[in-house]
Amino acid sequence: MSRHQYSMVLDLNKCLGCQTCTMACKKLWTDGDGMDYMYWNNVETRPGQGYPRNWDKVGGGFENGQLRPSEIPSREDYGQPFEYNYEERLFQGGLQVMPNEPPVNTPNWDEDVGALTLGENYYFYLPRLCNHCTNPACLAACPRGALYKREEDGIVLIDQERCEGYRYCMKACPYKKIYFNEALGKAQKCIFCYPRLEKGEVNACAKQCPGRLRFVGLLDDPDSAVYKLVKVYKVALGLFPEKGTEPNVFYVPPFNPPRKGNYGKSVLEDPRMPLDYLVYLFGPEVLDVIRRLEAELQKAQSGSKSDVLQLLIGRDDAVRYQIPQLETLVQIQPARNA
Amino acid sequence: MTGLLLLAAVALDPNAGVWKAAPPTTVALHRTPPLYSTDPPAALEIAAVEVKLLREGGKTMARLEWRDASAEKTAGAPDGFADGVALMVPAKPVTGDLNPSLQMGDAAHPVLIYYYDAARGAALMEAAGRGTTRRTKERFPAQAAYEGGKWVVTMELPELAPGAPYSLAVWNGRQQDRDGRKYFSIWQRTP
Repeated sequence: MSRHQYSMVLDLNKCLGCQTCTMACKKLWTDGDGMDYMYWNNVETRPGQGYPRNWDKVGGGFENGQLRPSEIPSREDYGQPFEYNYEERLFQGGLQVMPNEPPVNTPNWDEDVGALTLGENYYFYLPRLCNHCTNPACLAACPRGALYKREEDGIVLIDQERCEGYRYCMKACPYKKIYFNEALGKAQKCIFCYPRLEKGEVNACAKQCPGRLRFVGLLDDPDSAVYKLVKVYKVALGLFPEKGTEPNVFYVPPFNPPRKGNYGKSVLEDPRMPLDYLVYLFGPEVLDVIRRLEAELQKAQSGSKSDVLQLLIGRDDAVRYQIPQLETLVQIQPARNA
Repeated sequence: MTGLLLLAAVALDPNAGVWKAAPPTTVALHRTPPLYSTDPPAALEIAAVEVKLLREGGKTMARLEWRDASAEKTAGAPDGFADGVALMVPAKPVTGDLNPSLQMGDAAHPVLIYYYDAARGAALMEAAGRGTTRRTKERFPAQAAYEGGKWVVTMELPELAPGAPYSLAVWNGRQQDRDGRKYFSIWQRTP
């Protein structure tokens, strides 16, 4: 087990679906050869097919302590990158610019489609990245020992020298957050912006987020926002806890989506989205989390101060991010069992 | 030009006439067991490799030929894997009937693996037990051709004396073979 564990909490009530995080990550890390189709960070509409398509349904993770690998997603599941016919349209005159090939799937193919409940449309955005799991299935699956979890901060990385491109990690990851670089013959994934963290700078996806919905810090640092949200207030949950990988990216579930005529009613008594769907994503504990958040909302609406909601507002960087200096990492006293 | 250079230059061509006279040995292949209990056992699509060896000037030229219904020459899409073949020999001379472990040797009996991958070409690898295989920086002369449903790969190796152990592995990209998911032979002795 790592001495410390970096973690991220994302408040889904604040996500605009603007993809600024996606582009911040893309520009910084995945604009090289063989990386066109990869988005280490993506934002998908839920309910929806996700990226890669149906990643949540194909398998992966552990079952009774045993790896349960899935098939490797196909190129079409990820959505093929395509070029536009600029030459033909812009410089020779003509109709609108179109992709050279008619696309059949893209990473954000069903954006804002969602689903219907009681005749009304609902959806929310789910930003996703590598979960830097405490029990990573990718690491367990690699016969080369190319994956490792950093002892000092729990970030999961792929040793590009050891990796032979076997892709057992891709089969094992239940979140399908490992990608194969065809040009290099190597697997690649989110590195939790460790070079930035080592300089005291927060992850690019968090830094650029206009919705200020990301909180970053050590999950075992009692002074961190992530520690408070996950361990003390207990208002954030990991995706698919039953997969057994113990993800370290947590989500504050959407608990109060607006709908005409529901003023003052709890989402539990008047669900604007099927709670079954939230249970599917986050496990049954999500109902308790929503109850806690509803109670905090009522507290705030009745004129009292809610520390939870004040923290979730995340007014500035200092509130949302607690990035210790590398040399002070060893001095932080873990508070694992609080 | 020495005999070796002449032979090597000629014999690296999989269709060179010098191979016609070389006596063939048929080496049977087996599948490794599935790595995960959820993986279905893979079909035995490739039954054997036909091996021909020529020696001259301190070198051994090897010609490996096997039937494969489809050629996978790139590790293309995220779920695509390339065909490949490897010839494993002990890194240190062996005595008597002793062979290194088939699972990449062991600490006392390291092995060298002459590996040809249709996507990345030839690479010399070394290992001293399962999970220790690593690429050396060295490459070796090799050529490959796929024609009429058959792969032929030629390799220039250090001399394998008569009676020297070697074993083979074949990866069938169509069956998503890579790493320990492959075809393998038991140890053979060179003629």
